[in-house]
Amino acid sequence: MALTGRTALLSALGALVVGFVLPSWLGILTVQLALLIAILCDLALAAPVRKLHFTRTGDTNVRLTGEAHIHLTITNPDRRPLRAQLRDAWPPSSFRPGDDIPASRHTLRIPGGERRRLTTTLHPTRRGDHHAVRVTVRSYGPLGLAARQGSHHIPWTLRVLPPFTSRKHLPAKLARLRELDGRTSILTRGEGTEFDSLRDYTPGDDTRSIDWRATARRQTVAVRTWRPERDRRILLVLETGRTSAGRIGDTPRLDASMDAALLLAALASRAGDHVDLLAYDRRVRASVQGRTARDLLPALTDALAPLEPELIEADARGLAATIHRHTPRRSLIVLFTGLDTAPMEEALLPVLPTLTQRNEVIVVAVADPRIEEMAAGRHTPQAVYAAAAAEQTRAARRHTADRLRRHGITVIDSTPTHLAPDLADAYLSLKAAGRL
Amino acid sequence: MTTATATSAPGRTAHRLWTRSRGVLLGLLLLVIGGLTLAALQSGEQHGRLDPRSADRTGSRALAQLLASRGVTTDVVTTTEEAAAAAGPDSTLLVTTPDVLTSGQLADLHTATHHTPGRTVLLAPGTAPLQIFAPGVQADPRIGNTPRPPGCSLPAARDAGDVLLGGIRYATSATTADRCYNAGGSPTLLRLPATDAARDTVLLGSADLLYNHHLAEQGNAALALQLLGAHKHLVWYLPSISDPTSTAPATQPGLLDLIPSGWRWALLQLALAAACAALWRARRLGPLVPERLPVTVPAAETTEGHARLYEQAHARDRASAVLRSATRTRLAPLIGVPPAHAHTPDLLLPAIRTHLGTSDLASPDLQALLFGPAPADDKALVHLADQLDTLENSIVSQERHAPREHPDR
Repeated sequence: MALTGRTALLSALGALVVGFVLPSWLGILTVQLALLIAILCDLALAAPVRKLHFTRTGDTNVRLTGEAHIHLTITNPDRRPLRAQLRDAWPPSSFRPGDDIPASRHTLRIPGGERRRLTTTLHPTRRGDHHAVRVTVRSYGPLGLAARQGSHHIPWTLRVLPPFTSRKHLPAKLARLRELDGRTSILTRGEGTEFDSLRDYTPGDDTRSIDWRATARRQTVAVRTWRPERDRRILLVLETGRTSAGRIGDTPRLDASMDAALLLAALASRAGDHVDLLAYDRRVRASVQGRTARDLLPALTDALAPLEPELIEADARGLAATIHRHTPRRSLIVLFTGLDTAPMEEALLPVLPTLTQRNEVIVVAVADPRIEEMAAGRHTPQAVYAAAAAEQTRAARRHTADRLRRHGITVIDSTPTHLAPDLADAYLSLKAAGRL
Repeated sequence: MTTATATSAPGRTAHRLWTRSRGVLLGLLLLVIGGLTLAALQSGEQHGRLDPRSADRTGSRALAQLLASRGVTTDVVTTTEEAAAAAGPDSTLLVTTPDVLTSGQLADLHTATHHTPGRTVLLAPGTAPLQIFAPGVQADPRIGNTPRPPGCSLPAARDAGDVLLGGIRYATSATTADRCYNAGGSPTLLRLPATDAARDTVLLGSADLLYNHHLAEQGNAALALQLLGAHKHLVWYLPSISDPTSTAPATQPGLLDLIPSGWRWALLQLALAAACAALWRARRLGPLVPERLPVTVPAAETTEGHARLYEQAHARDRASAVLRSATRTRLAPLIGVPPAHAHTPDLLLPAIRTHLGTSDLASPDLQALLFGPAPADDKALVHLADQLDTLENSIVSQERHAPREHPDR
C-alpha cells in the first residue's frame, strides 16, 4: 500500500474543518474517519497488482554505448481498470548516468481485461550481463488517494558486448593483408616488387628459397618470400589478474586488450588462420576453441562480454601449463599482460622459455598515456618530480621489454588508441616474414 | 554522442532546478511583498507615539515644551538601565508603554526606584506591570475615551476639572488610594502612595490626554502638567526593542500560547497531515537495486605515488639521476653511440660535442649537465630539467634538418 500527495493535501485541508467547525477531538476523529473511508474505498477499487501478468521480449545483446529496447507486455485480467506507475528496475549502470529514474518509470492505464506493451530503453555503461531486477507496480484507485503496490520478478538478461571500437582499422589492415597475398596489384612494399620481397636469411628458412642472384648483389644471403602461409594457429591469451584492472582514463587495461584481441581475431580469421581464446588468472575464465571463421567474432565477443579483472595475482606457471594444453601444434601466442617489473620477472620470465621453444610469442602490454603526460611535466618542482617518477617507470618497462625481446619475443607496448593497430601490424609483419 | 550529453546536461539541470524551485520562489516573493505592504500600511499613524520630540498627532512635544517652560527638565531614555539610572531622588518616572516590558525589566525598574522619593507614572499598564508596581490592583476591561469629571479629592484632578480619559479601569481595596475619573464604577486614574517612602505611583487608564492633538482639550494639559511636573526632573522612558534586556526570555509566551485555543486542534490535524506526507514520500517504488561495482585503480597510481614520495623526501639526487639517464638514453641513438655506452661520459660527451659543433664553449657545462652532482634545491632541479630539454631539442632539431645515415638502418 502507498499513499499519495492528495491524501496529505486533503488531511491538511481537514485542518480548516477542525479549526473552523469542530475544534475538538471529535473534529479530529471525524476528519480521520472520512479520510480513512476514502482511502479504503480507493484501495478496494484499485486493480490488484498480484493478478497482473507480464511477458518480456526484446534485445538480448547490445554493444557497449549502444541502445537496447526491452519490451514488457502487461495483461490486466481483472475487471477494474489499472491506473498505475510502473518501475522496470535494472542495475544503475544499465541506464545513462542520471537518467535511471525517468528511463525506468512508466505511467500506464490498462482497462479491465486488456493488455499493453511498454518499452524500456537501456543505454548500458558497463560491459557484461545485466539482469532485470524486478517490476514494481503501484496501482492507484480512482480517487488517487491510495495505491496498492507490489513487485513481480520477470527475468531477462541483456549481454553487453565489448564495443570493438578498433574495427575502424580493419579495412586498412585487410588491404595490407591482400597486398601480402599478392591479390592486389599495387606498387607498395610487399610482394609486388622484387627488391622488397627479399628478406635476410634466418636459420630455419628453406634453403631452396634462397635467391642467389639477389644474394650476389648483397652482402647477406637473401631469400625469396612466398605467399603467406595459411591455416596457422593463433592463441589469444588474456591475463585477467590484478594488473589488468588498472584504469587508463575510464576503462580498465583489460578492455583495451580485448579491443586489440578482437581486431587481431577479425584480421587473422580473414587471413585464413585459426584463432582460439583463453582468459586466465588462477583458473580459466573464458575459452573459445575450434570456431570457424564465420562464427568466430560472435563467439569471441560473447565470451569476452562478462569478463572482469580479478584482484588476484595471476598464476604464471598455471598459465604456461594451460597454454601448453591448448597448443598441441606450433602457434602464435599473443599474451596480453602487464609489463610491471616484479610480476613479470618473478613469475612470467622463468616460464616463457618453455613457450618460446615451439611457439612464436607476442607480449602485448597497455601503456598509460598519463605516464607520457607526467614525463613531459616541467616548470614546477612537483611536475619535475612527477617527470622523474614517470621516466623511472618508462625505464623499468623498457628494461623488462628488452629482456623479453632477448628471448625472441615480440613486445608491443602502446597506449590504448594505438594498441590494436600496432598488434595488427606486428601480426602482419610476422606473417609477411613467414614466422607463424 | 558523449559530447552531446555532456553539453546538454548542465542546461537540463539548471532548467530542472528552475522548474522545481519557482513555486517556492514565487511564494517567498509574495510573502516579502505582503510583508512590505502590511508594514507600509501600518507604519503611518503610530510613528513617534508619545515621543516628547515628536510633533505628530500622537506625539507629545507640546507637553514636553510646556513642562520645559515650567522649569522641569526632561530626560528621554529608551532602555531600562538608563531609566533606572536617571530616576534619582525627587524625580518623576514616566513609563509610556509598560506592557511591552518583560517582567525582568519591570522588576529591575521597580527595585531601582521604589526606595527613592518621587513619582512613577504608568500609562495604561496591564496585568504584568500592575503585579510589580501596584500589587493588589486589578485591571478592569477597557472603556471608551470621553471627557469625565474628576470626582475625587486629589488636588491635581480637582484643579484640572474634566479630562479626556477612559481605557483600562483599576480596582483596588487600598484605603489610601485616590480614585479619580470614575467610569462605570471604577477609576481610570489611580494614585497609590507608597507605604514606606515618599513615593507615589499614578496609573492612567489611557495615554490619549498626553497626545499633541488632545492636549489643548478640556483640562488635559493641566492634569498632565500637574502629574508630570510635580518634581523638578522628569524621566521619560520610551521602551524600545533595541534594549538588550527586552529579549530576556523570562515569561515570554510560547508559540502555543499565542495560538487561539480552537486552532490547536487544527494544528494537531496539520501534524497528522505532515505524517501523511511523510508516508507518501517515504514509500519507494520498489527497493534500491544493488550493483557490484568495479574496482577503480588508475594504472599510473604507482607512478603518481612515486612522484609524491620523491617530492616529500626532496629526493633531488634520485630525480636528477633519473632525468639525466633518460636524456642520455634518448640522445645516444641520435648521435650514433650504442645504447650500452650511453652512460659512459668518455664516449657520450665527445660525440655530443662533435654533433653540436660547439666543443670549446659548452664543454664544462655539458659534463655538469649530463653527469654532474645533484642540484642543491628544487629550483635548480627545475632548471636542470629545462636545460636537459634544451639540449635534447637542439640535437633533435639538427637531426631533423640534416638526418645522419644510421649504420643500423
